[in-house]
Amino acid sequence: MTQTTSYDAFTMWKNVYEKTESTWRDAIQDTLGKESFAESLGQIQSQYLQYQGLVNKLTESYLKQLNLPSREETSNIASLVINVESKVDDLEDQMDVHKSDTSREIEQLKKGINNLDKKMDKVIELISKSIEVQNIPKVTATPTAPTAPTIQPAINAKK
Amino acid sequence: MVTLDTKQFDNWMERFSEDKNIQQIKRLTEVISSDAEPEVGQTPKEVIWTKNKAKLYRYQPAIKKTNKVPILMIYALINKPYILDLYPGNSLIEHLTDKGHDVYLLDWGTAGYEDRNMKLEDYIVDYIPRAVNKVMKTSKAKDISLLGYCMGGTMTAVFTALYPQLPIRNLILMTSPIDFKDAGHYSNWLDKRYFQLDKLVDTLGNIPFELIDFGNKLLNPISNVVGPYVSLADRVENEDFVLNWKLMQKWLNDGVPFPGESYRQWIRDFYQENKLINDQLVVRGRKVELANIKANLLNISATRDNIVLPQQIAPLNDKVSSKNKTLHIVETGHVSVVTGRKAVNEIHPYIEKWLTDNSK
Repeated sequence: MTQTTSYDAFTMWKNVYEKTESTWRDAIQDTLGKESFAESLGQIQSQYLQYQGLVNKLTESYLKQLNLPSREETSNIASLVINVESKVDDLEDQMDVHKSDTSREIEQLKKGINNLDKKMDKVIELISKSIEVQNIPKVTATPTAPTAPTIQPAINAKK
Repeated sequence: MVTLDTKQFDNWMERFSEDKNIQQIKRLTEVISSDAEPEVGQTPKEVIWTKNKAKLYRYQPAIKKTNKVPILMIYALINKPYILDLYPGNSLIEHLTDKGHDVYLLDWGTAGYEDRNMKLEDYIVDYIPRAVNKVMKTSKAKDISLLGYCMGGTMTAVFTALYPQLPIRNLILMTSPIDFKDAGHYSNWLDKRYFQLDKLVDTLGNIPFELIDFGNKLLNPISNVVGPYVSLADRVENEDFVLNWKLMQKWLNDGVPFPGESYRQWIRDFYQENKLINDQLVVRGRKVELANIKANLLNISATRDNIVLPQQIAPLNDKVSSKNKTLHIVETGHVSVVTGRKAVNEIHPYIEKWLTDNSK
């Protein structure tokens, strides 16, 4: 009996990858950890930066000849905008401080006025009491009783 | 007139197009070349503050916030922060907001050439305190939780150490390097004797994303360059896998330039001179002492992380003065700590629970 197995490219690819990765992993990690690797990386970095520096200088001089602003000059404008924004931020912070100071002062003022209001109420109460006290004798001295007879005869007289 | 019998050819063509390998190649080609990119960062958000290129987002403002301490996420200057909100069902931000947390994210934006003079300390001293202030005002909270990922976590730790007077209740750092004594291959490659840092920054201004990406891929060249395509070919018929593959590739290839002066400071002060852990880092004339950190600390380290090694993360717990400090070790890689099945099933719920427990 023959068994047919279908060819699976992906499984093969995965197997190749896994075998390669496991075989080379340690060797690669060893190399990456060596001082000589860091040194080589530094050399490549140096060459790249030398090239990039040259490109930067050439671009700048080219733009200057064409009378066009360089990246540096354009970014300077952006920096000015950012600086203005920072100043607005500072102002906002100061306003926040002032706002909280002002609201605190208003709160204290409100309390002061409330206290004053209560004191005024007390003063008025005391004054009205003292007036009442002063008026009591007058009220008792009002000759209501003697006037009654004088009215009475008048009524009677009408009758 | 000559009549050709094409039946045999048609049959062959039919068999050919039905072949599993051909179907796989067809789908593989579609995924790599013509499929639409998935939409990332879908959790609803609003911008509550901007400064230069930076934006401060508040997530799901309409959802009721049941947790009283807001969370401010601070991202790195490398890559884009949507990895924290990659896709519905695969998003740390979505998970936290759904659980009633008030989440904010500080996105540094894309640095332009005009930002090449921005130092790390400019971001730490001029941006983060203002963002914290905005969060406190918006949420009307008395305390705040800070969450930093990767380099963003290092910046967050420096900030927390510099401002002990601020009401920072919780500090969560995800795969954030603090000790650079042994940074793996980077320690070798960034050796002062060979790596020409000043020349690099002076020539390029901002450091292109491709250069940073090259360094990261070089850590494990075969599995980083060929590996993703082998995995894709192997599981191209699994639509969930293909979606996650596309999301990851989109994020990995969607980097931002690193502001030049920040890069100089990051490599020199951290990688080459290891100043932070040794209390030698000076930011705007102020010494950064990690012992000033008193906030509750959750420090997350990934065992399979080859970008930030576990030994770069753990020493922070010995330096801080926090009474409540946890070193949480997870069996993942640098990126799978925030995204993927393990992150969704284990790490996101762990962070959420820790935050809830420490926000009462």
